[in-house]
Formats: sequence, structure tokens, C-alpha cells
Amino acid sequence: MKRFDLIIVGAGPSGLSAAIEAANRGMNVVVFDENEKPGGQLFKQIHKFFGSKEHKAKVRGFVIGEQLLKEASEAGVTVVLNATVIGLYQDKEVVVKIGDGVEHYKADSVLIATGASENMVTFEGWTLPGVIGAGAAQTMMNLHGIKPGQKVLMLGSGNVGLVVSFQLLQAGCEVVGLVDAAPRVGGYGVHAAKIARCGVPFYLSHTIVKAEGTDCVTGVTIAQVDKNFQFVEGSEKHFDVDTICLAVGLSPMSQLLKMAGCKMEDNPKRGGQVPICDEFGATSIPGIFVAGDVSGIEEASSAMIGGRIAGITAAQYLGFIDKEEQLTKCEENKKALDGLRQGMFAPKNRGKLVEKTEEGIPVSMNLLEKGFIANDEMERFPGVTHKAGVHPVMECTQNIPCNPCQDACPKHCIKIGEKITSLPAVDESVDCIGCGMCVASCSGQAIFLLDETYEEGFAAVTLPYEFLPLPKEGEKGYGLGRDGKVVCEAEVVQVKTAKAFDHTNLLTIKVPADMAMKARFYKKEA
Amino acid sequence: MENIFDRSVDLGEFVPQPDDDMIVCRCEEVTKGQIRQAVHDGMFTITEIRRYLRTGMGLCQGQTCAKLVKRIVANELKVSMDVLEPASSRAPMRPIEMEVFARENN
Amino acid sequence: MADRIIEHPILGKTEKGKKVTFTFDGKEMEGYEGEPISVALKAAGVMKHRYTKKEHKPRGIFCAIGRCTDCVMVVDGKPNVRTCVTPLKEGMKVQTQYGVSAEPF
Repeated sequence: MKRFDLIIVGAGPSGLSAAIEAANRGMNVVVFDENEKPGGQLFKQIHKFFGSKEHKAKVRGFVIGEQLLKEASEAGVTVVLNATVIGLYQDKEVVVKIGDGVEHYKADSVLIATGASENMVTFEGWTLPGVIGAGAAQTMMNLHGIKPGQKVLMLGSGNVGLVVSFQLLQAGCEVVGLVDAAPRVGGYGVHAAKIARCGVPFYLSHTIVKAEGTDCVTGVTIAQVDKNFQFVEGSEKHFDVDTICLAVGLSPMSQLLKMAGCKMEDNPKRGGQVPICDEFGATSIPGIFVAGDVSGIEEASSAMIGGRIAGITAAQYLGFIDKEEQLTKCEENKKALDGLRQGMFAPKNRGKLVEKTEEGIPVSMNLLEKGFIANDEMERFPGVTHKAGVHPVMECTQNIPCNPCQDACPKHCIKIGEKITSLPAVDESVDCIGCGMCVASCSGQAIFLLDETYEEGFAAVTLPYEFLPLPKEGEKGYGLGRDGKVVCEAEVVQVKTAKAFDHTNLLTIKVPADMAMKARFYKKEA
Repeated sequence: MENIFDRSVDLGEFVPQPDDDMIVCRCEEVTKGQIRQAVHDGMFTITEIRRYLRTGMGLCQGQTCAKLVKRIVANELKVSMDVLEPASSRAPMRPIEMEVFARENN
Repeated sequence: MADRIIEHPILGKTEKGKKVTFTFDGKEMEGYEGEPISVALKAAGVMKHRYTKKEHKPRGIFCAIGRCTDCVMVVDGKPNVRTCVTPLKEGMKVQTQYGVSAEPF
């Protein structure tokens, strides 16, 4: 039987982060992962992350994954892949399926970072081929380079549903609609807005009645639901689709902890069955730690910090560092974690309707109910100003923990301030040079450059564009509104790509002057 | 078992529902109606339901249906989901061939 | 192969291993070495991986990460192989699974 100081189950963001911290303190660490590749779900995350610099904001998930793997290998962490942990027994004995047999390992401490599994919903026809989880869609298109389908309906308006819908569009699929039984969009408004302006209709207070088809999905019927989630008669809508994608939440995969005898609780705020643990990730069994989604559903950024805290604490538990060092190091990480747990989407606000921003501005109800900000709601936000010449317009209207735009501007004309969740404001005393760094740095793709006096009778709108084929300068097409509907004719006058933009291209379109505050996307002439 | 239900509780008559033939446990092909009926037959815990119907006992070991079954049982018993103990967690946590399971490599 | 993403706006050109041939219910098909069997089947337009034991209903890819076990097939004579996490190899014999065997009902 092989022995380690620390055995970690799961090589995702939290497991790897814990491994790095523990190994850097001299511990002999091994990480087991059942998958062929490490990184957990990070390598399927192709969008830029939110947060601030310390949270690796504006870096794409898969790049963070590569950085973590490099850091882990430098720290001397052993990651064993295709290694399925099938049991966690008394005295921290871990049984792992490797190759054609099982192997027994023992450690003085164990850290469980197994993540989460997807929730599902039932409806007529939900077992048909073509009904898939949102995770499946992400895996197929972002890891294996294959479209999950041609025409897709997405169920679930949380961040997973919104982000995966955008990824489906990027992969070249058509998203016929985004459906949620809840009356309001659950995820970030900026994620909703970027798919709404591509023309994806939102059906809130709707759910799936049935998936159609005998051998596989050929269509879907949705219908409106009332306050008690009962179908409203006569509200049925049919779509021809070949794929139905389910993004209805995650549950912690905590079975190993239960098997080990850790005290568990059913905590809906954490997503289901979770181990009872302290702020350092210590469970009721001394020496068994947890980090990441298995201890409560959040997202990858907080999982990484939680992992670091648990890794440091495991090192202290075995005497590799003293209590003082543990507390100092954990304190820094806790501050970073607290930063992410602020704002409208903070765990404490889950399920609540926040009607006003921290600044006291009424939230866009259209954004919550239809996925885009109505024209008459736009002007009240601090990111929206008007002046002659080029200037940024930030359609960032919810308090979320994110601030890369503030650092992106070389002229410092974007201000967020000390509080990371504050809405970005424009400093009108500084002149914008139109470099576009803010547009490319915004993880929510909510920043546009406007030149309202571009030419006599015309304005120029610069927008983030992450699709192929990339339009060409001089190309003619249409300007689309925030709802994805054609509002005017448009001409592409500039296409900027740069390494610093990290695959977010900057498209500048010329539109009639009165469309400057309305045109937010571009579509080529059919 | 931490939550012992009053077995004499009257659940009323089993009333068929239009979606009773909906598959809930995909692996073992157990329907919503079967689960609801099982509760009326006296199976009040997830463990009992598993033994009675094999929900969550198939290849995937309840990865997909655990929460769905729990919701149906809780609804039928008119209790909140969190008072129902989940099923026991046992090795092997993932599908594994017996031949491999039995081969101890160290 | 309309389903394959040739070039992705963020991930660039899709990189794959060498081309291999395999059979699906006796039909010769092509895929890339090392990719999940299910991906090669999807690229070839195969949606149905198996028919269930009791109700004989079709199933296909559902979770794509080896959890749900809905995509299992008979591979090289062995039933219940999770095709979404099993890498494709040259000459593999992939068969629709009926219940737990490759014999149609």
C-alpha cells in the first residue's frame, strides 16, 4: 500500500489549487482523477472569467486551466489520470481503479474535490437521443470539436444556460430559444444580453411540455407556466429542433464523503447533500477536507480559492506549517473569496429579486424578463454618457464582482473604485483614445465604443465580436438592436484584432446617427 | 435512520396522474407512477424505494435520478425534501467490472 | 461530417489524432484516433446508441462525461461500454446495444 501525506480526489480547479498549496509546503501529494485529462470543467470554459486581477479576471477558463497545470507540475504534484476513486474507507484508505485492477492508498489527510453533477428535469420524451445536458454540449463542442446539434433549444437561464447558449452560437449552432420556468433570468444580465442581441428569444415563465420524435428529437413544444408552475392552456409554442439542452442546476457529488462517515446535511443553498465543514474546508472527520462545488455549488473562481485555503489548512493539520502561517495565508485568500461573494448574485441573494443597484438605480426589468435592456432604460446607468468624439458606453447594469475594465483603460477614463461590485462609470474629464482595450477586456462583452459624430448624419459603434467568419471592412449588412432585431443598415468600417484582445475582435460599424444608442450587433446581408 | 416516519400516517387514496408513465430512473426504467405507488405501498425511505423498485441501482448508480426520485417521494409523503435521508453511499462509486474490482494490484 | 467544427473563433482549428476506421453494426466508418467513440458516431450522424431492456426505447448521448451511462454500447464484444469516455481505436467493432447484448430483440 502506497502512502502519501495528502490524497486529493479530483483534478479540477479546487483540487489542483489545493495540491499546489500543499506541495509548496513540503507535502507529498497525489491527485487522482477519473478523466483522461486534468482540469475538471475548466477546459470547457472558453469565456473570459469575471472578478479582478487576483481572481484571474478576463482570462479564459481553459487558459487558467493550463496555468494551474503548469503551477502544479512546478510544485511537484503528481496527478494520476484515468484513476477512478471507488471508495473512501476508514483510516483514510482510498481505493482507486487504475488500469485493469484496483489499488489501495493511504494518506494522513484526504481532500475531496469531486465537483458537481448536473440536475435534470423530466418531461415527455426526455429520454430521447438529442436531449442532452448543457455540460454534454460544452464537452462536445469545446473539447471534441463537434456540434451537439444544428438547432438547439436551451432550458435554463442561469449562468450555465446563458454561457453555453453563447458557446453554441460560437460553434455555429442555431439557438432557437432560451426557456426558463422562472419569471426572471437567473444568471448575469450581461451574459443574457450578449445572446439576446444575436437574436436568441427568451421565454421566461415557460417550460418544456414535450420533446417530439420517435427515434430522436425532431422538435419541442414549450408552454407558459403560471405562478404555481402549471401550464397555461393555449400558450404552447412549437420549434423544429434536433437538440434540447438542459441547464437546470448542479448538485454536489458528495457520495465519497458520506461513505467516509462525514457529517452531512441537505442544504438547498449549497445545492443539496453537502458535508458540514468549517470555513477552512475541514469536515467532521479530522484530516478529511473538502473544496469546490462538492462543498456547495459556486463557480470555478471561488473553487480555486477554496482549494488553496483547504490545501494550506491540510498542511497545518499535519504540522508542515504552524497555525500562524495558516491563518495569515488563509486570511489573504478569504479576502479574495469575499470579494467574489458580493453583489446582486452573492450566495445570500440567491432567488431574491433585487430591484435597485447598490447605487440606488432601478434595475432593468426588461433585462430580467426578456434578456436585454430596453432603449428607455439605458440612460440611467453611470456607464452611459454622451459627448462629441469617441467614448466608451458601458452597458453594465448589475452589481457583479468584476473590474478588469477599470485597469484596461490606459487613460483611466473608467472608474469602478474600491468596491469591486460597483457599476463602472465614465470619467468625462478624460479623453478616450478609442484603443478598444476596455471593449476586449469586458468579460460580459458589455462595453461599446461610440462615436456619435463620426460623419455627417452617421455614428460609429464599436462592438466585441467573437464569431466566424469575421466580417470584412467595407462589408454591408444590418445593425441589430439589443433584442437581436434589425434596426438599420450598417457598414463595417473597421475590424481590429490584436493579441491583447485575446480573440475578442473589435468590429466598428457605421450606422445612422439616431441608431448610435440602439445598434449593438451586426449581421451580414443575407 | 435519523428520520423515522410515522408509518400509520394516512396518505389517502392513490390518485393516478397524467404523467405517471414518465420514466424517472433512466437506467432501470422506473416510472413516476411506480414510485408514487411504492410510497402508497409503504415504502417511505429512499433506501426502501431502491430495494423495492431498483431506482438508482442501475449502471449510473443514481447520478441522474437521485434528486428526482427524492422529490417525488417527498411530494407523495407531503414532507420537505431535506427530511428524506439519501441512499447509502457504497463502493464502488462508479461502474466497474467485477473482474477489475476483484483484481488487487497492490 | 457537417457536425465537426473545422475552425472555432476562440479555440482555433480543431486538432485531432490520425484518421482510423471502425465499424458500426458492420458498416465501415471513419473517426479520429483517441476521440470518444460517441464523437465519431455523432460525426457520422449516429444518434441511437442502444435500446433499453424493458421498454426497448432508443437512447444516445446524454451527459457526455461518463456519469449517466446512457450512451453505452457493445464495443469489441463487450457490453455496457461508455462510448463518451472510451477512446476510439483503429478497427474497433462498435454495435448497438439491445438490453445488454448486441442481439436485436
